Amino acid sequence: MLSHANSAARRTSTGQVVTYVLLALVAAFFIVPIIWLVVEAFGGNLGLISGTLGVWGVWLINSTIYSAAGAAIAIATCVPAGYAIATHEFPGRRVLLILTMLIMLIPTSALVLPLFLEANEVHLLTSPFAVILPYSLFPFGVYLSYLYFQTERFNILFQTARTDGCNEWKVFRRIAVPLSKPVAALIVFLNIVASWTNFFLPWVMYWSTDSTSHYPLPLGIALQLFNGETSGEYLGVIQLHTSSPPSAIAFLLLATIAPVVVVLVLAQRWIRSGQFQGMLH
Amino acid sequence: MKRKSPMRPRKSGYLFVAPYVVLLVAIGIYPAGYVVYLALTSLSAHFTGLDNFIDATHNSYFVPAFENIIKFLGIWLTALVIFVVGLSLLLHSLNERVSAAFRFLLYLPAALAGAASVMLWLFMLQPGKSPWGFVLNWLGYHTLGDSLAPAHLPVVFALIAFWSGAGSWIVVMHGALATIPRAALESAKLDGAGAWRTAVYIKLPLIKKWIAYMVIGAFAAGSQLFAEPQLISEATGGLANQAWSPNQLAIFLAFHYDYFNYAAAIAVDLLVAAVICAAVILFRTGLFDVGH
Repeated sequence: MLSHANSAARRTSTGQVVTYVLLALVAAFFIVPIIWLVVEAFGGNLGLISGTLGVWGVWLINSTIYSAAGAAIAIATCVPAGYAIATHEFPGRRVLLILTMLIMLIPTSALVLPLFLEANEVHLLTSPFAVILPYSLFPFGVYLSYLYFQTERFNILFQTARTDGCNEWKVFRRIAVPLSKPVAALIVFLNIVASWTNFFLPWVMYWSTDSTSHYPLPLGIALQLFNGETSGEYLGVIQLHTSSPPSAIAFLLLATIAPVVVVLVLAQRWIRSGQFQGMLH
Repeated sequence: MKRKSPMRPRKSGYLFVAPYVVLLVAIGIYPAGYVVYLALTSLSAHFTGLDNFIDATHNSYFVPAFENIIKFLGIWLTALVIFVVGLSLLLHSLNERVSAAFRFLLYLPAALAGAASVMLWLFMLQPGKSPWGFVLNWLGYHTLGDSLAPAHLPVVFALIAFWSGAGSWIVVMHGALATIPRAALESAKLDGAGAWRTAVYIKLPLIKKWIAYMVIGAFAAGSQLFAEPQLISEATGGLANQAWSPNQLAIFLAFHYDYFNYAAAIAVDLLVAAVICAAVILFRTGLFDVGH
């Protein structure tokens, strides 16, 4: 009896060791590249980096403008739309909801070429709006806002305000908007992470222009890789076509992702709760 | 079931949804309609039926691009199902603080999604530079060219996509596992089920829908692959050719040859696949509240 219990305990501890070894390997796979990045970035000659900082600053400002403008429009359109779909009754409401959910489940990259063709047609190709407007269409934000405003407790507040004589605009402005802060913050977070890391859309909109002054950061990274000329053919010896030293690239990569990492750390609560993350794709 | 109150306002709803609807039409519906129109017409705007779709398949890059993407999807989806489900179940059996720390750690590479992760992995795959150099040497890869040999590319792209994307799916699975009633797990324990049996017979069936969602969603997203092959192509001077994936091919035809109608036909192929995936997730998995 006693020996049986002992062997059971030993078995569990072997199982635990296997579990932790496995987890350590997994952790290494995910985290070693990031550690390498930090070590490489600060181990290099910072003098080499300073030369590229100026142009990097322009791309950083562009990324900030595009993401901030996109998120501002997203929030201004998503919150009222979700509010109305949840609390109002109007013909077309259900069609709008289903269309919204359908589009939120379509990968944004599926619409990149159509958007390019549209932008080409209306001559908006190299305008900042060619990226800002697509970033600002955020059906998932409408869905989140819709779920949020379905809360029964909120609806009692809205009804009370109406009985007290508030018009619809006042109900929204004085009650719904202040209540929307948590969901608005989540919309901003998800929208900014998506637009900050987007490569395909700005690449398609801006690659044809000679000027790099419109580039957001991901295109700046691509440019670091593109310093050489492409022959379009298989090269006998494959090497990176970049003249920048690895430490400089690592530093710039780190600078690129730093804002997103800060946002991620701030948003840990949501990430851990896990309810909304599938939509980051 | 929520009762519809007779006091629910009506017309003012249009004012609140109007800005969003304008954006939805201009950025979502109109371009989708326009690309379908281009795909069905010729350069001189004559209706051509399915001609563009058929002609596009005759392009010498067409079949290889779809073969490439299918190989990539096969590897990536298999890896996602095995590792994301396995890791999520494993983490769920640990205590909450350890599990939470791990989830955050695994999620962190999401910050490098897109161009940044490709750039980083170009160094990770360079035997002389990479902290994984010993693994690469052991595999017999001594130069970046060995790591990026054309036959390796589907695996390489799957590796990069997994590294930056698996964490967010693990977080989703965790969310799904967290909804399993404690009572179900307690009674399994009382019945003598160990951690393994509980995972396979109780937890797995309860998150089946989420696994289906992940597979379909990842299929839809993965079939759009662009940044990885494009950047590797640019970084190595055309090792992966500029039409490795269908999306690249569509862009390639549009940019280099102004074949907008062929490009539109390929874009429509991909869009239709994405819409079907979205519709299946929405109407068949039962994960979303489609209103009432």
